[in-house]
Amino acid sequence: MTAESTPALVQSADTDGGPAQPGPPAARGPRARNTRAYLRYTAGKIAGAVVSLFAVLVTSFFLFRLIPSDPVKQMTGGRPVSAEQLESLRRQFGLDLPLWQQFTDYVGDALTGDFGMSYQFHSPVIGKIAEAVPATLLLTGTAYALYTALGIWLGTRTAWRNGSRSDRFHTAFALTLYSVPSFWLGLLLIIVFSVGLGPIPGLFPTGGLESGGETGFAYVIDVAHHLVLPVITLVAVGYAQTLLVMRSSLLDEMGSDYLTTARAKGLRDDLVRRRHAVPNAMLPTFTLMFVNLGHVVAGQILVETVFSWPGLGGLFYQALSVPDLPLVQGLFFVFATAVILANTLADLLYPLLDPRVGR
Amino acid sequence: MTTESTAAEPAASSEPTDVDSTAAENSASTGTPKSPRALARARKRQSLARFWRAYRSHRSGLWGLAALVLIALIALAAPLLAGADAQSVTDTPGGPLELPSGEFPLGTDQFGRSVLALLVWGARVSLTVGLLAAVLCVAIGTVVGIVAGHFRGWYSTVLMRVTDWFLVMPTLVLAIALATVMDRSIWTVILAIGVTTWPTTARLVRAQTLAVESRPYIERSRALGGGHGHIMLRHVLPNVMPLVLAQTTLVISSAILTEATLAFLGLGDPTITSWGGMLQDAREAGAVSAGDWWYLAPPGIAVAVVALAFTLCGRAIESVLNPRLGVSR
Amino acid sequence: MDTPAQQDRHGRGRTHHRRPLRLLLAAGAAAFTLTAGLATPLNPAPERAKAADDGKKVLTVAVAQSVDSLSPFLAQRLLSTSIHRLMYEYLTNYDPKDNHTIPGFATEWEPSADKLTWTYTIRSDSTWSDGEKATAADAAFTFNKMMTDEGAATANGSFVGNFKKVTAPSPTKLVIELKKPQATMAALDVPIVPEHIWKDVDDYAKFNNDETFPVVGNGPFVLTDYKVDQYVRLKANKTFWRGAPKFDELVFKTYKDQDAAVAALRKGEVSFVAGAPALTPAQAASLKGEKNIKVNEGPGRRFFALATNPGAQTKDGEKFGDGNKALLDQRVRQALFLSVDRKTIIDKVFQGHAVEGEGYIPPRFSTYFWKPSDSQKLAYDPEKAAELLDEAGYKLKGDQRVGKDGKPLNLRILCHATDPNDKAVGKYLKEWWGELGIGLTVNCLDDVSVPWYAGEYDLAFDGWSVNPDPDFVLGIHTCAALPAKAKESAATDNFICDKTYDELYQKQLAEYDPAKRADIVKQMQSWLYDSGYMNILGYPNAVEAYRTDQIKSIQTMPTAAGNIYGQDGYWSWWSAVPAGDTSEASAGGDSGSTGAVIGIVVAVVVLAAGGILIAMRRRTTADDRE
Repeated sequence: MTAESTPALVQSADTDGGPAQPGPPAARGPRARNTRAYLRYTAGKIAGAVVSLFAVLVTSFFLFRLIPSDPVKQMTGGRPVSAEQLESLRRQFGLDLPLWQQFTDYVGDALTGDFGMSYQFHSPVIGKIAEAVPATLLLTGTAYALYTALGIWLGTRTAWRNGSRSDRFHTAFALTLYSVPSFWLGLLLIIVFSVGLGPIPGLFPTGGLESGGETGFAYVIDVAHHLVLPVITLVAVGYAQTLLVMRSSLLDEMGSDYLTTARAKGLRDDLVRRRHAVPNAMLPTFTLMFVNLGHVVAGQILVETVFSWPGLGGLFYQALSVPDLPLVQGLFFVFATAVILANTLADLLYPLLDPRVGR
Repeated sequence: MTTESTAAEPAASSEPTDVDSTAAENSASTGTPKSPRALARARKRQSLARFWRAYRSHRSGLWGLAALVLIALIALAAPLLAGADAQSVTDTPGGPLELPSGEFPLGTDQFGRSVLALLVWGARVSLTVGLLAAVLCVAIGTVVGIVAGHFRGWYSTVLMRVTDWFLVMPTLVLAIALATVMDRSIWTVILAIGVTTWPTTARLVRAQTLAVESRPYIERSRALGGGHGHIMLRHVLPNVMPLVLAQTTLVISSAILTEATLAFLGLGDPTITSWGGMLQDAREAGAVSAGDWWYLAPPGIAVAVVALAFTLCGRAIESVLNPRLGVSR
Repeated sequence: MDTPAQQDRHGRGRTHHRRPLRLLLAAGAAAFTLTAGLATPLNPAPERAKAADDGKKVLTVAVAQSVDSLSPFLAQRLLSTSIHRLMYEYLTNYDPKDNHTIPGFATEWEPSADKLTWTYTIRSDSTWSDGEKATAADAAFTFNKMMTDEGAATANGSFVGNFKKVTAPSPTKLVIELKKPQATMAALDVPIVPEHIWKDVDDYAKFNNDETFPVVGNGPFVLTDYKVDQYVRLKANKTFWRGAPKFDELVFKTYKDQDAAVAALRKGEVSFVAGAPALTPAQAASLKGEKNIKVNEGPGRRFFALATNPGAQTKDGEKFGDGNKALLDQRVRQALFLSVDRKTIIDKVFQGHAVEGEGYIPPRFSTYFWKPSDSQKLAYDPEKAAELLDEAGYKLKGDQRVGKDGKPLNLRILCHATDPNDKAVGKYLKEWWGELGIGLTVNCLDDVSVPWYAGEYDLAFDGWSVNPDPDFVLGIHTCAALPAKAKESAATDNFICDKTYDELYQKQLAEYDPAKRADIVKQMQSWLYDSGYMNILGYPNAVEAYRTDQIKSIQTMPTAAGNIYGQDGYWSWWSAVPAGDTSEASAGGDSGSTGAVIGIVVAVVVLAAGGILIAMRRRTTADDRE
């Protein structure tokens, strides 16, 4: 989250396909032409996504080759190996082949979902990734749902009461939390609510996903209990972005003439807000939601590391520090793929929501 | 700046955005023959003054600016405030991990150095990295954005494809990967942040470029024989500069956070004191489970304060340029 | 006409709009406190609480490492090999008192007169956990597998490198024939696996032994469950020949960082926290004052050293790498040695949790421990170091040492980015050597192996865990360990190759008399010390902690002031005695009072939340009025 673009600018960045005119929707003309146009638009976006995916595949192969590391050392943990053993390991992992052949093998295998064998775990990369996916989805998925909801709700409220004390308070509070490093907040929460500070007892576990050995309902409670602190950390750091985008697009929307008209017609403020302003202002927020959705899979490297969460982010950092190249490559590809898919999905849904786009 | 603020102050909201006004004046100036340089200077002064007046009305922006000036002064005066040998480990004044006291207002680290003194020295690194990374990021973004917006045809497409591709990369993951690939040094961190965060700026600048170039005076300039370079440098660049300024301020904020993150993950230069590095040192020393809050809390607060200050400034600048965003005063 | 209806609709809409949100918030807050409330009474000591429930005594060990593989043929990490110690028997074991070799799977062993054939008598009272008898055939199978299958040689291949033939003429007799004499035959640290299970494995390079549970073994514990990156669960082997362990279950729980593990210990989530490799001084200090927690400190088995690049070369003598030529001069190396204040490093960096370095082998292994005589000793003496540098031709010009070629003396040191001690000592070295006029660049990497193998370094932080048998750590400084090709990985530690040292090495390997062998090993250490190639800075202690209300007693190794985690043998976990009924009573009292505290906290939180809600509502209405 920390390296994301700054909230207020997300929307302007995403509406530059041409200066968006707030004029009447372009939805005229026969329906068939629209459908055809949409199909062409869809095909273009999907083709773009495929090109991006391929570029990611290429990058993941070459970028991590640059890390100075000795695969054989990673595989043997620095133990002495005989020359024959070395040779066989190299053969086994295909390291004796020329680079271009390693590359084509890699691409070929990757297309069938095979990212090779992890150096340190001696097991298929895809299996290691599959093991870590549920934990990440649980953590970041929960946090995502919460901070999106909280952001939209508070964003609407603050925009509606623009300039009021509650607006100033919420905006300032969100901005402050947004500026806090997530890992630091996590560490503080651990000190205060997990280790216990002064009179506060350690209410929550220090890390991990479960205590182990629980079953049934007790297991659910146990996992929920482990989930609390990391989710709070992610929500605290994450909701500001949604809030600010929602707030500024709603303010934008509220300046529009049709709202004045609606109000002049005698509609009460709340109705105007709910029926007209909010749905229209949702578009930029919607984009942001999808951008964030992609990052749900990439997980939260820092929060997962701080809370010993057995997810993808923690796995990536650990693999990188070994470095376990096949695992790093596989994870990088999965992360980028998730973002590309989410973005493509957003692109495909966008014209259905906003008729001005995609024609 | 302040001396110019005597002129009557129009309501900020009714004022045209700076970009527009400069553009209008620019186009007007082509017809004025008398000492264009002096005129341009006066115009610049005027618009600066107008900008400052509008900025001044944003209270949070002023707070942010004040905080930044203060922190910058502290960073510059670090040798005076904290002593030149505050970072030395062989000759330390205190014992390991001492509680805050009169002598050490924020306690000591595991080597017995004053945490406050380290914090002061750390400000230098964090600010330097934040600024340079943001400049690098915005520089790349501006060049790519202007070029992609100005030219038509396949290279614009290719540039935007590359931009889009960078945009879908998980930024932090890419930055971590880059920092791992290169040596541990602050230049690595600057590069890793700059290289991974420019696409947003590029898209913004491109959009602005397209808007500027659709104005009639560009057409006129082209007709008068202005080349690509001339148009991009003399007309487009000055008009995207305000936007770039706002963007830089906002990028610095996230760059400082990313620097802290990378240093915390152990990807910074371990021989240099930075706030993120201090947090990593604290964690490695076991300060979290030992409850040594005085070692852990200050660097995080410092990062948050600086990041917040830059964000506030950036938002204020942004809303001066585009009042419809409605940032609260 | 229209208006009232609309207002009405609006009014309803308004309540509808707000109520769900507030409900949602309330539900969230409730769920939050509920999970806290529900789970917390168990929380001060979930394991103990469980012990009370079903009578099982569980020992939970927090480790800051994850398992790389459960296959003994692949596993290399300390956690994994420690677990294998518990799952499988080794031919021999080490006495917890003084590390001497004692019977394990084998009860007796002896070499033939020509020193080339070793005969082991295998015990007849060991059975696999599935009921099959464990015999010499299993041992023969294990060794033969490693000798013939490259995949099976990944982890422990080096042990069988000198084996010619391994046979099992009877269920109680194992015969190993060697190519040349080898003194380490009573120290074959290889887990023996059951042939009837492992003979069906197709690919040893890929089989991780984590498909069917429980995993068949014959050690003091049987592995019953494993969740990647989370935990490994073992249950006591009640029929273990040396006697059943006292705890019913043993769980190794993975924490991603040591602080989280320490916090878990403090809360009673775990019974024991292993240092990785040691608790930090701050952690140890903060735990020392805690009730029911004992901080255990024992001599470590590692040395922490500065290794010098003596000019990297291959076996054929081909030079490569870019080590600073100045370091080829013994006087320069000794000057660097003399200008490092080892005592300060022990006091400041390790804060007393280490022993000042002397010889190559840590004092824990008293048989082989050697220390320099007073005349030989290179103690901290920067003035003498400056003299030596002057002598070697590196005169002080301004504040820099300049060589005869006019170039200033600047060195680089390789450090492990993941090791805080490397980075801390690097800071000190930079200042000490800076005062002498030598520039130092500290180059920290996650993986130092590439520049290391390429010989592209001047100095490096180095450290090895030493086994009771020192053969391995001695062997890494012989010419035979040098790489065959430039820049390839090899067994060598830092490219040392010296005839005197090699002769001594061969001599000790063929020496079957322990006392004589120890004497040769000491001569080797003396040579290493004088060379200035290896500056042993210290031997970090093992610092670990456990809860005395969960573990009543536990065997340390060596018995007097030894360590617990990562022993040579299964002594600690096998011997650990659970704390009795008394602790459960006190635990009850504990959680009672904690429960009260939690109740109060929850009440306060709920009240505060309610207050805030009301305040917000007031303000909201005020805002609405604006």
